[in-house]
Amino acid sequence: MKTPMESLPNNFTAVDPDYFKVKLVNWSIQSSCYLLVALLPLILRLFGLPAPWWLVIVPPVLVIGIALLVLRILRRQVRALGYQERTEDLVVRSGVLWRKQLVIPYGRMQYVEVTSGPVERRYGLCKLTLNTAAGAATAVIPGLRAETGEELRERLVAAGEANQL
Amino acid sequence: MNQWQRVHPASPFVHGWLAIVGLLWVYWQNTDELSWADRFSGSRLTWTVAIGSAALLLVLIFYALSWYFTRYKISETHVYVNSGMIFRSQKQARIDKVQGIDIAQPLVARLLGLAELRFDVADGSASVMRLSFLRKAHAHQLRTEILALAQGEVAAPSEDVEQPPAAEPVPLMAKVPAGRLLASLLLRVPTIIGLLGALSVGIVSITGNGAFVAGLLPILLGFGGWFYKELNNSWNFSASATDTGLRISHGLADTKQQSLPAGRVQSIQVSSPAFWRLLGWYRVEVNALGVGDEEFSNLLVLPVGDFNAVTQVMGILLPDLSAENQREVLLTAITTGTTHGFINSPVRAKTLSPGAWKHQAFLATQNCVITRFGWLSRSAAFVPHNRIQGMGWQQGPWERRHDLAGVRLYSAGGTIIGYLHQLDASVASEFFAVQAKRQVER
Repeated sequence: MKTPMESLPNNFTAVDPDYFKVKLVNWSIQSSCYLLVALLPLILRLFGLPAPWWLVIVPPVLVIGIALLVLRILRRQVRALGYQERTEDLVVRSGVLWRKQLVIPYGRMQYVEVTSGPVERRYGLCKLTLNTAAGAATAVIPGLRAETGEELRERLVAAGEANQL
Repeated sequence: MNQWQRVHPASPFVHGWLAIVGLLWVYWQNTDELSWADRFSGSRLTWTVAIGSAALLLVLIFYALSWYFTRYKISETHVYVNSGMIFRSQKQARIDKVQGIDIAQPLVARLLGLAELRFDVADGSASVMRLSFLRKAHAHQLRTEILALAQGEVAAPSEDVEQPPAAEPVPLMAKVPAGRLLASLLLRVPTIIGLLGALSVGIVSITGNGAFVAGLLPILLGFGGWFYKELNNSWNFSASATDTGLRISHGLADTKQQSLPAGRVQSIQVSSPAFWRLLGWYRVEVNALGVGDEEFSNLLVLPVGDFNAVTQVMGILLPDLSAENQREVLLTAITTGTTHGFINSPVRAKTLSPGAWKHQAFLATQNCVITRFGWLSRSAAFVPHNRIQGMGWQQGPWERRHDLAGVRLYSAGGTIIGYLHQLDASVASEFFAVQAKRQVER
């Protein structure tokens, strides 16, 4: 075992591949918002207000470039998401460039939340959030099937009661 | 005891003195252009007096009602505080769940010799119950009585309120003299930046560039505010040992006494800002549950002190580091070096943290993890295994290129994080696996 990441793909449960679609929708909404802001100088110019050429060209190009870069790793981001229920704790991993793993002992759980936004609901997905007494130690597993999320929550709550520290 | 009592009649004033200041300010704003003679002559005098006294009467009635509806009762089992006339609030706390009582004195209360009791109750409620305000001696007496009740004793009924609070025979652990505090604050980077800023503003304003000065002034005020906050919080600081933990008292304008049971401490950070290292000074903060005003701020338990003061305070908060020569381990933890089993970042980390790599280290003992990080300003965090709420392993792209990884240990009650920075990736993985087992051991 070299880094935790390399030993992972086998024993981690991946999130639903449909979550990629949710990410894609969110990505397009976000990118168009940024693009709209970046296009402001161009709009000003169209209305006859003075805006230098570089300000018209540079921001949209930057925004589009970054958005395309993000798009490239979007699928990998979804594939990197995963969780593992161990005997005494839950492990959640995420991230492609900045890789992370978070371990939360069941006994430290305060409450478990299952939420779903409009886009997630459309694809029958939900997001599970696991809170502890420390704000930074909050595990989030997005992109679970609605029924998987419910089951996981039941199991986590049961495990939390069984493992009170 | 055991019957409803009222708080000190001046309490509403202490809560609401700003209202009176506000009234005066409004008056001042509206009569700015008048001279004093104009203000108090003819029909204007009548109006001023009439409106002024009406407003004053209104405020006084409000104060009186507020005072009338604020009552408290201490029974054998509970403390009750009722307040509010339109929105009634009734609060109660079970005495056997009371874990500590802080005595606080905001500036105005202090001028009037009043004090506020803040009950720290372990019943899961987030809000602190306050009883404000009482005469200081009375507050001290009540605190002693309630704490005695909380420990299962029946308090002796004492009628004599005038009697000064019984001096508790507690050994003094650390005291911060005013001179050292001021010196330590002057050596903090924000102070130095602020002073340099003030100096440059002075020079620029002599050469006459008003706009520039006006722009810098708010920033300077910010630094001034920071300095005052630190000073107010640390002035006349003393920490003493009690049966259960530490008792700290501090404050310049607003004085405060807080008790910190050692069992409430979640993690400890000993830090040494850049220039303090030359003098061997440290400051100690803790993450603690249910102590202090804000959820997301750390509790200061030693504003400035030398190594001896640190060992004394640490001896109360975390008496057992599970190391053989505890004192040397502590010294290594808060200075530098890899003796006593500390593992530091490999040389590969030099390109990422040219200054700090040598000093970043960690040590896992039987009952806690000690981590050290930082370059010019250095910190050491002590996180007991059974206080870890969650643990994160992380690796950024540049760390991956150098085969490095970091681990963070999160605990509740503040912002202190056990930070294992840029370790050899395999060391980090091994620690991550072993620590996951350690922190669920019972």
